[in-house]
Amino acid sequence: MRNHIRFLVNGREHRVAGAAAFATLANYLRYDAAATGTKIVCEEGDCGACTVLIRRGEADFVPVNSCILSLIQLDGTSIVTVEGLGMNAVQQSMMACHGAQCGYCTPGFVVAMSALFETCDKVDEKQVRDGLTGNLCRCTGYEPILKAALTAAPPTQKLRDLYPQTIDDDEPVRVESFFAPTTQADAVAFKRDNAGCTIVQGATDVGVWINKRSFAAPAMLSLGKIRELDELRDDGDAVVVGANVTLSKFEAFIKDKIPELYGILNIFGSPQIKNAGTLAGNIANGSPIGDTLPYLFVAGAELELAGTGGTRTVAIGDYYLGYKKFDLRPDEIIARVRVPVVADTLKLYKVSRRKDLDISAFTAAIRLRTTDGHINAATIAYGGVAPTVVRLPKTEAFLAGKAISLGTFEEAGRIARSEVKPISDVRGGADYRAQLAENILPKFYYEVLA
Amino acid sequence: MTSVGRNVPHDSARGHVSGESIYIDDMPPARGELVVDFVWSPVAHGRIRAIDLDAARRIDGVVALLTHRDLHHNKFGPIIQDELLLAEDVVTFIGQPIVVIAAESRAALRAAKLSIAVDIETLEPVFTIDEAKRRKQFIGSTMHIVRGDVESAFAGAKHILEGQFTNGGQDHFYLEGQAAIAVPGEFDQVAVHSSTQNPSEVQHVIAHLLGLQINQVTVVTKRMGGGFGGKECQATHPAAIAALVAHKTKRPARLVYNKDDDMRVTGGRHPFQNDWKVAFDDDGAITALFVDFYSDGGAFADLSTSVLGRALTHAENAYYIPNAEIHGTVCRTNHAPNTAFRGFGGPQGVINIENILECIAVALGKDALDVRIRNCYGIGERNTTPYGQVVANNTLPRLFREITASSDYRARRKAVDEFNAQSPTRLRGLACSAVKFGISFNTKFLNQANALVNVYLDGSVQVSTGATEMGQGVNTKIRQLVADELGLDVAQVILMPTSTEKNNNTSATAASSAADLNGSAAVDACRKIRARMCGVAADYFARTAGLEPSSEHIVFSDGEIFDDRAPQQRVPFAALAKMCHLERVSLGERGFYATKGLDWDADRGCGTPFLYFTMGCAVSEVEIDRFTGMMKVLRSDLLMDIGKSINPGIDRGQITGAFVQGMGWLTTEELRYAPDGELLSHSPTTYKIPNIQDLPPVFHVSTIDNDTNTVNIRGSKAVGEPPLLLGISVWLAVKNALAYESHGAIPQLRAPATGEEILRLLTEYKAARVEVASAAAS
Repeated sequence: MRNHIRFLVNGREHRVAGAAAFATLANYLRYDAAATGTKIVCEEGDCGACTVLIRRGEADFVPVNSCILSLIQLDGTSIVTVEGLGMNAVQQSMMACHGAQCGYCTPGFVVAMSALFETCDKVDEKQVRDGLTGNLCRCTGYEPILKAALTAAPPTQKLRDLYPQTIDDDEPVRVESFFAPTTQADAVAFKRDNAGCTIVQGATDVGVWINKRSFAAPAMLSLGKIRELDELRDDGDAVVVGANVTLSKFEAFIKDKIPELYGILNIFGSPQIKNAGTLAGNIANGSPIGDTLPYLFVAGAELELAGTGGTRTVAIGDYYLGYKKFDLRPDEIIARVRVPVVADTLKLYKVSRRKDLDISAFTAAIRLRTTDGHINAATIAYGGVAPTVVRLPKTEAFLAGKAISLGTFEEAGRIARSEVKPISDVRGGADYRAQLAENILPKFYYEVLA
Repeated sequence: MTSVGRNVPHDSARGHVSGESIYIDDMPPARGELVVDFVWSPVAHGRIRAIDLDAARRIDGVVALLTHRDLHHNKFGPIIQDELLLAEDVVTFIGQPIVVIAAESRAALRAAKLSIAVDIETLEPVFTIDEAKRRKQFIGSTMHIVRGDVESAFAGAKHILEGQFTNGGQDHFYLEGQAAIAVPGEFDQVAVHSSTQNPSEVQHVIAHLLGLQINQVTVVTKRMGGGFGGKECQATHPAAIAALVAHKTKRPARLVYNKDDDMRVTGGRHPFQNDWKVAFDDDGAITALFVDFYSDGGAFADLSTSVLGRALTHAENAYYIPNAEIHGTVCRTNHAPNTAFRGFGGPQGVINIENILECIAVALGKDALDVRIRNCYGIGERNTTPYGQVVANNTLPRLFREITASSDYRARRKAVDEFNAQSPTRLRGLACSAVKFGISFNTKFLNQANALVNVYLDGSVQVSTGATEMGQGVNTKIRQLVADELGLDVAQVILMPTSTEKNNNTSATAASSAADLNGSAAVDACRKIRARMCGVAADYFARTAGLEPSSEHIVFSDGEIFDDRAPQQRVPFAALAKMCHLERVSLGERGFYATKGLDWDADRGCGTPFLYFTMGCAVSEVEIDRFTGMMKVLRSDLLMDIGKSINPGIDRGQITGAFVQGMGWLTTEELRYAPDGELLSHSPTTYKIPNIQDLPPVFHVSTIDNDTNTVNIRGSKAVGEPPLLLGISVWLAVKNALAYESHGAIPQLRAPATGEEILRLLTEYKAARVEVASAAAS
């Protein structure tokens, strides 16, 4: 058992012990390591100014937000910051294309853009737009940055070759109240013994609470070193997803299997967030606007909950008892998620103020089984209209057995509207959400059935 | 080879891409440095009953707790001196600083902030323009621009429309928050590093508030991580607070706002609510316009009256209005004081008239582009603004003509008609808008600048001006101008941090005019140095080539100097510099520039406030989801007249960046408040500026050739603000799309056109359609 965190920054090993290990990587870089190229702006993983590259073991370097990443999460990783890029082709192109104006977002952009060239020598416009969704620029209007990426010369050296060093991470680590065990048994025992223990995986939400709500958990547990939870595999008509599987890995794995869900994950969040956050984390966080949840509801996903007394399986609809209230015992963790592949007619919706990288005002999943122009069964889940994601039993019952027509779906929309009681908040008014609850059904009719 | 007109990279580009560029909070802490924060008012309007600092005083590491009593003066303001640095007995907005905390660590600072209790009796707040109007709670006096006989024109009008238009505010969302470090010096002097667009104002305010002479305060600005107007006046507060701490504790002090605090405690673009009335003929020609602008100034005056003044002088935009009556009043509310924001009232004035033109088009069943062209300023006639300035060198008709063709507007209009007729799920809209933006500060005395140019013995050059660099590339342009004047490569010239020590009494870097003013001043300095160097060179060539000494024949080119009568004999610039030094000829100079020909009578609302106009047109097409209201821009074409560009790459970046910022203001950027006035959208999670996916998939940006702007430096035109107003074309395209669904009614679209706002109108139209259908059925 080690009592400190070990990681590499631009090839050099750093060791941090004690309370200092709970600092964010961005603060550590700027205030302790005198590497001020990495900028801090929003401290919530939404602007990308703090982007650095991270690599675990032999994987590729991928971009993450260092402002919501604590050092405790970094054991065994290799980090590359803007200072470590070595004036590469991306940086040269950004200079030539006027990709930097005020320069404050620029380190984050060149780091994120450099990541695109780790796996290819040339990028297309879609890759660039998707790859830079998590970086905000207020000066350029993005056009010069897009051009810089599209015209950059192939890298003379990949960063994985420039920084080939790796660092072992197969040893359990205990730093003050933080524990990263290597076995599931140790994890659940720690959780049982530490009331109020918070699990930190990507910490894409916990990191924000720490920065903005002075959140301090009595104990923190990482499952990241438990190799069996890295599991990601096909299981007949479902995909089994271990607790350590990031949203990026999940997204890539289901691309052809569940294209609808892939489409939602594509606009779900930035690469930085998806490289850190996990599917299990999205479920555990239990936000009523979690973007993966409506699909999991209509697909009938199951959670494998592991505790000190063994494991049990809970249907996702039963897991949520109220706003951020869960059917989860103090010693339990979400070990795996079984995500069925839906073969029926299916459509997922996400409505937000900005299409990409915005927290939803409203989400929906609509699943139909039909024969000869008739609906056999309908399964509908809405997010953003109640304290949890909800199914719509009255609407589902109404649709069952009906002939497919615009009128049917307009009526279903009115029933759906009567089934939900949304609230007004910063993301949208109650009327707006109620109208969306109604409109999404005729929209589904036109887009999928008409 | 001349460097002016070339695509020279930004002078900080290498530092920006490598992370080496230094911003305030990148500077290493000095010995004994304190970190600073403040406790602010949690209520929008209230009376302070008591402040309990006892618990904070006991916290280890807390060095100072300061209130307004620790200031020599507490009141300041750029135009009207109504602003308090620290609240006294009454608080007037959420975020207003009350108690300054200085501590040795961030942990102590946080603990102290949480431990300070301010007991406030809540008073009734004012959050809306309507409520402020009802209470007659205004800032400054109502402004007017009047021309012709509006009353008769309305009396004899063929058509009249009237309405009310509202636009929302906008957060600057510069990436680097407000920041300052103050370092105490000898004899009460203080040096301040400030992320400000206006070092002189920061200097003057600090001296005033601390009871110092202005010469005891030095303010230095290396660069800003974005400004957009947000650091024109409101960078002063953190700098003054840090200076207060340094002054009181005799220790360096650092104050850096985090993003959430920055968005809450600073103001932004002014929301407006305007009552308007327009008279027009059958062909859409406007015969009379009445506009009564009301802006939400927030709690203090800041620059609000000046911002409103620019709205008034842009109320007609690119269109000739024979009879006009334009009024404007700033409302005092309990929001954070609103301030300068790229465009400075121009966008609010322009969107108002562009909206009216769109309304006229709907009312007449015409294409709005034709209504615009019908009303566009003429050449040689119909070319005087309501305030009396002649629109000289008018390229607007040409811009309209060229963009109509280059954007394929007419064919796309047909395509949009057809698309909307057949698509049950989506709706498209197409619109063209124009901009005619007046260049010069409306306030005459601000149109001056000074510059310091030093030539060193190796021929390298340092330039210092009052311009501040916030990414817009002003330093790069001045570098090019100086290099050109001295016949040098840009590599020989460095722009130094802006400092009040080198350039005194400077104007803000604002009004798009920093390169015009400071570039001209730098050129003036170069010409004086060059004249002296010419004298030395003339004597040298006279001696060595046997010529009659003549400065007129001396040429500076490509780093060398020669007499054009004996061009084979050349002296490197460095050698001539050394020669001058040995001859005891000064190699340093201060240049000065004051814009000629300006004349503005604000009281009468007439005169010539602008040296020239920057012009442009844009065409945007949008697509709306009929069920969710979600909108995307399919294509935007921008065409601008920016004269002869000093740096086409930098100017293009200003155009693309400003357009996207303007589009953001009118689409996704919505400031949402709780009923008690607390800003809810105070970080990028909830306040959505455009991201890279919002850049239109088809985006054409071009400029026309125009070498007629001889009144400005090298025939160039200012470009910082004008293209922001082209973002209005996106909002107009949304309005146009909705007009396809509104059954002939004029869509009452507010700005910003969020998905929620669009769906509100679509739902309204659908309900009306159902009503009509059921009435017909019964």
